[in-house]
Amino acid sequence: MILLTIREAVLRGTLVFYFAVGNIIILFLAYALDVSPENPSMITFFGNPILPKNIGDTNPVDFVLIQLQRSSASSILLFGVFAVAGLIPSMLEKGTVELYLSKPLSRTTLLLSRAVGASAGVALNLIYFAVGIWLVFGIKLSIWHGGFLLSFLFVCIAFLFYFSIVTFVGIVTKSAGFSIMFAFVYTFFSSALESRTKFLYQIWNNDIYRTTLDVLYYITPQLSAMLDNSSRVIGKMPFPPEQLAQTFDILPFVYSLLSSAAIYALASYQFAKQDF
Amino acid sequence: MNIVETSGLSKTYRSGLFKRSIVHALTEVSLSVRKGEIFGLLGPNGAGKTTFVKILLSIVHPTQGEATVAGEKLGSPSIRERSGYLPENHRYPAFLTGLQTLIFFGSLNGMRGKALADRAHQLLELVGLQDWKKVKIKRYSKGMLQRLGLAQALLNDPDLLFLDEPTDGVDPVGRKEIRDLLTSLRNQDKTIFLNSHLLSEVEMISDRVAILNKGKVLKIGTIAELTSKQIEYELLLDRSLDDSIIEKLRPHLLSLNVEGKKLVIAVETNVELNTSIDILRSKGILIESMAQKRTTLEDSFIDLIQREATS
Ligand SMILES: Nc1ncnc2c1ncn2[C@@H]1O[C@H](COP(=O)(O)OP(=O)(O)O)[C@@H](O)[C@H]1O
Ligand SMILES: [Mg+2]
Repeated sequence: MILLTIREAVLRGTLVFYFAVGNIIILFLAYALDVSPENPSMITFFGNPILPKNIGDTNPVDFVLIQLQRSSASSILLFGVFAVAGLIPSMLEKGTVELYLSKPLSRTTLLLSRAVGASAGVALNLIYFAVGIWLVFGIKLSIWHGGFLLSFLFVCIAFLFYFSIVTFVGIVTKSAGFSIMFAFVYTFFSSALESRTKFLYQIWNNDIYRTTLDVLYYITPQLSAMLDNSSRVIGKMPFPPEQLAQTFDILPFVYSLLSSAAIYALASYQFAKQDF
Repeated sequence: MNIVETSGLSKTYRSGLFKRSIVHALTEVSLSVRKGEIFGLLGPNGAGKTTFVKILLSIVHPTQGEATVAGEKLGSPSIRERSGYLPENHRYPAFLTGLQTLIFFGSLNGMRGKALADRAHQLLELVGLQDWKKVKIKRYSKGMLQRLGLAQALLNDPDLLFLDEPTDGVDPVGRKEIRDLLTSLRNQDKTIFLNSHLLSEVEMISDRVAILNKGKVLKIGTIAELTSKQIEYELLLDRSLDDSIIEKLRPHLLSLNVEGKKLVIAVETNVELNTSIDILRSKGILIESMAQKRTTLEDSFIDLIQREATS
């Protein structure tokens, strides 16, 4: 079931498209990046050294890798969710769902393997891209940075947790359009909640409102916190300078594990109750 | 032993905004299917046939009532392990070939490796799709999909086969092939549960049938029990009959109907038919043509549904 889900995702074309784009970016970077002949810890881009400013005590190589990781992880994640959000509703289509449900597998197994398959499809893209960049850095620049690879592992885990939301919406609405839309809205929602002290708190000075925001933050997968922390696997976060946490924190992953487990359980419960 | 046993099974669908639209799809359906028979569930569209099968396979949850399948309570995964199901309007992932489809659904049945591949090839041959097994199923016709669906339902070598409108979209030759296949499966001691609105199809192969209308079972029995026992003949004569001849015929017949030169009679056996012919011939009447009018399941079905509607 997991394998078929990946295959279905591939055959729908979108994942293949991202895969191709990923390849082009890797090749482009392989061509453009080099190290400065004078200073081996200085990376050059088309011969121009990259001289990051205001990065505190962050290693410049780490800085470049963090930038790359942040932009690629968030874009693959976002586009990946577009590519696979429809996989849950497509399992529930009339004429197909009956076939799945007539098999001895439990509905929970069906649903979870579908979600894991969808996440694995995106994870394959992520890991392929990560290994590509990692090899470019290793072979061309002789920078073998294990943390860079590891950080993508955390991104994959973050995606699986994040996908619980998409799964739940897919089960309830049975609509691919809704699932994609909601996934998109949720990414904004998650970063807004993450920085709620700076923005959402200011909208309304009310304790109940603020507590509600806090509760929401903890009961939903903390996508944006997880992504930030996956970057911190590479090295110290240089930005924003006033931000306290510069080093990796596992807690958002723990909270998200719990909340996404609860959301997956809720989705399974809904699925088990439904008639088809 | 009964392989399917339901008692008072009811299903009310609630849908729409705030679940306000209510459909009573099944009302107190109690019936039993014996092991090794072909059982036909007959009824017009919307009668609740599909709902009934889906309840047995736990695709739909009943609102009320109980059922056992192969001795197991509803919801038990072992029911689905031992059953095969051909849903109506089934749709397979269109990007797979026929063979891949069988391999995929077989793996959901818990089958693996060479045993599964062999079984898939064997079934494709059985349903006559061996030349199409490497073709993507988006290129299959309706009839071919139906055959593939049948192969899919047989993957796990089920004891009990649920077929929902199996001959839908299949051409007459294909229909005959499917009927032959079902008969041969019955001979292998499989039980077949057949949903159909095509009475003549069901009539040809079912051992017993139930007639369902608007969610209620109107009648259960063998085809012979459900169709009336009398035989009707329609005779065309060279002149209209006068009353004295009609009175002579009447004692030998179950019923008699005259329309000008046309005479329709119902008899129990052909002895009474021949007596009637003798009477007509002795009066010098010429018989120009004679045809047997069989009462089919369809007649008694329509009769039942109409009686239900007027009462
Ligand atoms: N999922 C559903 N939600 C609401 N109503 C349904 C659903 N499935 C079937 N129905 C209704 O239940 C009735 C019986 O349908 P069905 O079991 O498909 O009948 P049949 O198979 O005999 O044509 C119909 O009126 C149909 O509209
Ligand atoms: Mg039906």
